[in-house]
Amino acid sequence: MTMIEDRTMTALHSALTGLSERQRVTADNIANINTPGFLAGRTDFESALKAQISGGDTPTISGGTVARSLEPTNTNGNNVNLDSETVIATETGLRYQLALNALDGKYSLLRSALKTT
Amino acid sequence: MALFDALSIAGSGMLAHRKWLDAVSDNISNINTPSRTSEDAFKERMVDVQAVNYGQGDGGVKVAGVTFGSGEGRVVYEPDNPLADANGNVKYPDIDLGDQMAELMMAQRGYQANATVIDRATDAYKAALQLGKG
Repeated sequence: MTMIEDRTMTALHSALTGLSERQRVTADNIANINTPGFLAGRTDFESALKAQISGGDTPTISGGTVARSLEPTNTNGNNVNLDSETVIATETGLRYQLALNALDGKYSLLRSALKTT
Repeated sequence: MALFDALSIAGSGMLAHRKWLDAVSDNISNINTPSRTSEDAFKERMVDVQAVNYGQGDGGVKVAGVTFGSGEGRVVYEPDNPLADANGNVKYPDIDLGDQMAELMMAQRGYQANATVIDRATDAYKAALQLGKG
């Protein structure tokens, strides 16, 4: 923890990294929507982040883990659903904006502190 | 993890689906192409796609190769055709237009889905680039 970066900002940074990983995995799922044998990827960074925050540790910056979806596959062994991927993409995009706004708020606080003479 | 991963992944998806569209349009445009009975009929082209580094690495999709359908075709009696053999027969490709139209729709929708991902990812990256501007 430094003067400029406190635990909140590290947590937000970690969330942004995890959300951007989820966005990457969603893009991968949609790119492979017609690939035979492809199982959709699911990203989880929340559980690790939650454990670190509730344990009082400074969160580590990590994209989380990617597991393969166990949903039933269709005839070509693919289980990507465009509707659920679209929902995930929308939600991830909005949460990404939210984390960015929160981080921006922290930065503007810092900026106003630096301006005071 | 490379910078702006989602863009290149969705780009690979668009490329794979466009190649699929190309193959389908080639199949449809040759659906009535006759050939001599001594030769193979026009062979349907099917694009094989594969995930890039499935389950690890950056992800994306690639065209792994092309499989050709049967060249057997169906023999049609067309004595006027300049390609007809001594019995007046020519060969037409045995391609099902219904199958091709279904594939056309799948390829088109897949392409659109990937184009939408590029839109979304661009929005998120643009917002991130504004971070700290105040």
